[in-house]
Order: sequence, then structure tokens, then C-alpha cells
Amino acid sequence: MTHLLILEDDEGIRSSLTMALEDEGYQVSAAAKADPALAIVAEQRVDLMLVDLMLGGMDGFTFIRRVRPSSDAPIIVVSARADTEDIVAALEAGADDYVTKPFVIKELTARLRALLRRGTGDGDPSTEPAGADQLVLDSTDPALVLDMGAGMVRRGGEEVHLTVTEYRLLCELASPPGRVRSRGLLLESVWDRGYFGDERIVDVHIRRLRTKVEIDASDPQTIVTVRGLGYRLDQR
Amino acid sequence: MSAGGLRHVSRPGLRTAITLSFAVGGLVLSVAMALGTYLTARDYLIDQREAGALRQAFSDASRVRDGLLTSGATVSDVLGNVSPPADAAVVVRRGDRWFSSSLQTGERDIPLEARDAVGNDSAALSWHRWDDDPAVVVGVPLPAVNAEFFELATTTELKATLDALAVVLTVFAGLTAFSAALLGRWASRQVIRPLDDVAGAAAQIASGALDTRLPATDDPDLATIVASFNSMVDAIHDRIERDARFAADVSHELRSPLTTLVTSVELLNRHRSELTDRPKKAVELITRDLTRFQRALEDLLDLGRLEAGAAEFVLKTVDARELVRQALLTTGQLESVLHLPPDGVPVPVNVDKNAMHRALINLVENADRHGGGLTGVQVAEEPGEVSITVTDQGPGVPASERERIFQRFFRGGSRGALPGTGLGLSLVAETARAHGGSVWCSSGPGGIGAQFTIRLPAAHGRPDEQSAS
Repeated sequence: MTHLLILEDDEGIRSSLTMALEDEGYQVSAAAKADPALAIVAEQRVDLMLVDLMLGGMDGFTFIRRVRPSSDAPIIVVSARADTEDIVAALEAGADDYVTKPFVIKELTARLRALLRRGTGDGDPSTEPAGADQLVLDSTDPALVLDMGAGMVRRGGEEVHLTVTEYRLLCELASPPGRVRSRGLLLESVWDRGYFGDERIVDVHIRRLRTKVEIDASDPQTIVTVRGLGYRLDQR
Repeated sequence: MSAGGLRHVSRPGLRTAITLSFAVGGLVLSVAMALGTYLTARDYLIDQREAGALRQAFSDASRVRDGLLTSGATVSDVLGNVSPPADAAVVVRRGDRWFSSSLQTGERDIPLEARDAVGNDSAALSWHRWDDDPAVVVGVPLPAVNAEFFELATTTELKATLDALAVVLTVFAGLTAFSAALLGRWASRQVIRPLDDVAGAAAQIASGALDTRLPATDDPDLATIVASFNSMVDAIHDRIERDARFAADVSHELRSPLTTLVTSVELLNRHRSELTDRPKKAVELITRDLTRFQRALEDLLDLGRLEAGAAEFVLKTVDARELVRQALLTTGQLESVLHLPPDGVPVPVNVDKNAMHRALINLVENADRHGGGLTGVQVAEEPGEVSITVTDQGPGVPASERERIFQRFFRGGSRGALPGTGLGLSLVAETARAHGGSVWCSSGPGGIGAQFTIRLPAAHGRPDEQSAS
């Protein structure tokens, strides 16, 4: 059973959301403050987190930064504000997607399902590169290898820690490498967001991915920006 | 020109007024100076000329008298010995006979008042025309020889001198007035320049650059206006930020309970089958009004952000045809109402996709709710502009309401009974305005229904990331 964690200080939203998501068939743990939520992540397997940004005590941004090293589960930010800076800051901190209040459950579950696709073994076959199980992205020493069979990325034999969404984004770019993907296309295939999706989600994730797979993130050689078109993964 | 025509003559600008007053002032002063100079010089020169003529006449007269005193000398002989200057002639009367030093000169050239004065035994000087030239006539009685002596002298040289002086003075008066005008222009520019700076800063602020301030100045005459302008902008800036904060606060305060309501009502709706008829009906009522409430809140907050200029647009070049298609898709309309340019190429506009999407949805829903149903959406490309026209088949909008219909909470009397938020069309207008475009309402083709047209500036280039998606 998919286990969701809700971190939300508003009693009404927390309770109604818990009921609605349990109704959808998820196992739900809810917390009003960041500390008990961190405890839940430490003790149990959590598949996805819903995090409110405006919390009493430790705020949502800090929670995301604290939880990220130990959990690669997708995080959806629930923000009362449409303020773009808040959303970008949350994405930079490690969130995978966002919804703004008031949202309808249908919209939230669509976001959940998109991010949980791979986690539930419901992988999109088009994101799996044909043929090879292992793909050498960067042959310079130490080599960067995308190991599709093991579901991980290694540099020089050591695992590069990616979140679920970062890994899916990398797979999408690598199938096959060398082809330009527009932001809209990536948004559609990784986040299931259509025409009106926020393309900054892609940009922030590409930035985060670069800090993990590039030797010098300020001079990317593997994931390159193609001006006016999108992004391309270059094998070296 | 009629009085009615005069009313429309616009007041001259400050710059023109200053330039004109300098020019007129310069002209009046220089003309007065020139006139004074001319009159003084003329009086002096005439006095000189008259003195000269008198001197010459007395000298010639004494020579004639001395000649005539010599016994046996005739007037003609004496006149032959007198040699007046080239521009002068001597006329002598002895008894009833007239003698002259020149053939062209004679009795007729001596004015009567000179003859009368000399007849009364006194010398005379008078001005007269001689062969169409101004001339001075000096008469001297010669009682010792029973004769009257007259000397005529033309003053052509004096006239030429005075004419030349007049021309020089006129030219200089004109030059002085012109220089004064130039000076006035320069001075007015000095005066206007700070005002131009203020106007430029105000325009920048109006277009949203709220950080614009006038640079500090050490000119004591300008320091006051600069300081008060800057403090006014500070006040406006604070006010806008306060409003934006207030909108954010209201948003937070209302959105959280609304989220709880929406989520709970959705849960109730999922379990409708477990409810009996009366609670089921109550849930339906709540659902409908909750949706309306949610829309009204979103519209109100969007409108507040747009009007405060605080909306953070993510501008992208997109295909207007696709925007309209998405709006039809979202509102569940048939794509067959869509009329596109026949060439089939993208129609690029530079917009915030989400904001424009909401505006289009509002127009489509307005047609559906108040206009008896949507009949057509047209995308047209004109030079520099893109227009999107939404047509319905309702009762139309009376001409008197076509402006007011875009005001907040305006409800037309004849626009159907289904309630909307009353904010939709004002949101459309503000969104169009924020994109540098406009929106207006007209009557539909053949006078049936209403037509709402959004006009946006056309974007250059192709829609972003078209080829790769």
C-alpha cells in the first residue's frame, strides 16, 4: 500500500485531506509540525510527501532540506500562495512539484499518480532506453554510468544519489541521448502536466540534476541547454 | 474666423511662450533703440545740412551783392562769377526779372513762403522738392542792390545717408529680436529640462518601474520638486506593496478554509449514494455555490494583482490558436466553432499562458452563460496585432452598456439570469491591458448576439520551443 505523509498545520485541511486520500486507497500519516513528520520519515517507508510551506515552528522549506538527504521520495508542496518565489524556493530546496490552495482532490491525485508512477512499478516503457541496460553518459574518468537495470546512476562505481524524479528526468533525456527535448515535452512525460504546466519545474530539476551528475555544474557538458528549444543529453 | 473657431485654438506651450516673450521683448527694445538712434541722428544731420546751406548761401549772396554794387555789372555777369556747388543753384530776382545760375532752374523752383519772407526783408530757410529731390532753399534779401537772392541745394546725400542708417538699424533690430528668441529658446529648455526628467520618471513609474527615482540635485530651485516627487513615489510604492501584502494575507486566510470545504464536499460527493434525498440535495447546493465562491475568490485575487500591477507574468511566445483550443477544451466546447486564419501557420503572441487562458475561459463562459451560447471564436492576424473574437447568439449588449460591462460586478439587465461572479469580464479587460492589448464589445454579425474582441500586440518570431515538442 502506498504510504503518504501529510505535513499540514491547518487542522481542517489535514483532516479532510487525510479522509479524502484514504478514500482513494492510500495509507496516510499526517503531522501538524515538522519534527514529528521527520520522525515518521525516519521510522517508516514513505512513498510521497505533501508539505505545506507555511508552518508554525520549522517551516516547509527547512523540512524539505532536512528530509532530502535521507529520503528520495517525491515531495509535493502545498502552498496557499501563488507567489512564484516561494514555489521556486521550494523546488530549489528539493520539492518535485506543487499545488496551490484551494485545489480539488482530482488535481492533487493526478500530481500524486504522475510522481508515483515509477515507485509503484508502473514505469512508462518509453522512458526505458531500448537495448542496453547500462548507458555510459560520460566516459571521462571517473565514468558516469546510468544503470537502468539497477535503477541507479554511478560515477566511478559509486552511486550518485538521485531523487526518484531526478532519475526519471535523466532517463527521459537518455532515451535516446543526443535528442533535444523541449521543456513542455519533459513536463508532460515526467510530471504529467499538460499545456499549462509551469516550465520552471523543469528548469529547477535540470539545475539540481546538474549539480549531481556534472563535474562542473556551472559548465554543463552532459546535460546541455539548447537555447530556445530545450535540453539535450550528450554522451562523451 | 468665427468665435467658435477661436475656442479651439490651443494655448501655446510653456516653451513657446517663453521663446515668444523673449523674442517680443527683444524686438520692442531693439526697435525703440533703433528709432531713438535714427531720430537723433536725423535731427543732427538735418541741422548740419541746414547750417551748411545757410553758410554757403550767405557767402554766395554777399558775392552777388558785391558784384552788383560794381557799376555796370549785370545780374547775368555776376551770376557767371558765382560758382555754387554742383548740387546747388542760385536764383536772383531783381525787380520783376528772374535770373538763374542754371538753365533748369528758375522762378518756379522758389517756394512762395521763401519769396514772402524775403519780400519782408528777412532771410528764410525752407524745405522744398527740386526736380523730385528734397532740397533746402535759403532766401537772402539784398536791399542794397534792390535784389532778392535764393540758393537751392539738393539734399540727396543726406537722404541716402538716412536711408542707409534706417536699413542698418532695421536689420540690427531684426537680428536682436532673433537672438532674443534663440536666447529664449535656450532659457526655456533650461526651465523645461527638469520637467522633462520628471515626466520621464513618471512615465517609467506608470509603466511599472516603481524603483524609478529622480536623481538628487544640488540646484536649490529644483531640490524641492525632486524631493517631493521622490517622496510621492515612495508613498505610492508603499501603498502598492501594502495592497499586495493585503491581497496575499486575504488569499492565505480564505484559501485554507476553502481548501477544507472543497476537499470535504468532494468527499461527500463521492459518497452521495449513501445519502438520502434531502442531504443529497443540500450537498448539491453547497457544491454549486462553493464552486462559484472559489471562482469569485480566484478572480478577485487575480484582479487585485493585475490592478496593482503586481501580477508576476511569465511571458512566453505562444500560438494564439493553441491558446484558444485549450480554452475550448477546458470549457467543454466543440472545436468546430473555431475559425482560424486560412494559411495554417502559428499566430505568435507574447503572453502569460495561464493568465490569458483564464481570460479566454471567462469570455467563453460569458458567451455560454449570458449570451445564449457560444457560436464562434475567431483568431485573426493583422499587421502588428492579433485579435481573438468570441461571438454569441444572445440578446446582445446595448450600446450604452458596452463600456460598463467590463466594470467589476456590473450586471446587465438583459444579460440572462444565470449568476456569474460579476468579475469575469473585468478580469478579461485587466488581463488584456496588462499584456498591452485591449478588449471591447460590439454587436454580432447581422446585429445578432454580442461579440467580444481581445486585441493583443503580435509577437515576432515563432512560438517558443515549437519544433522540439
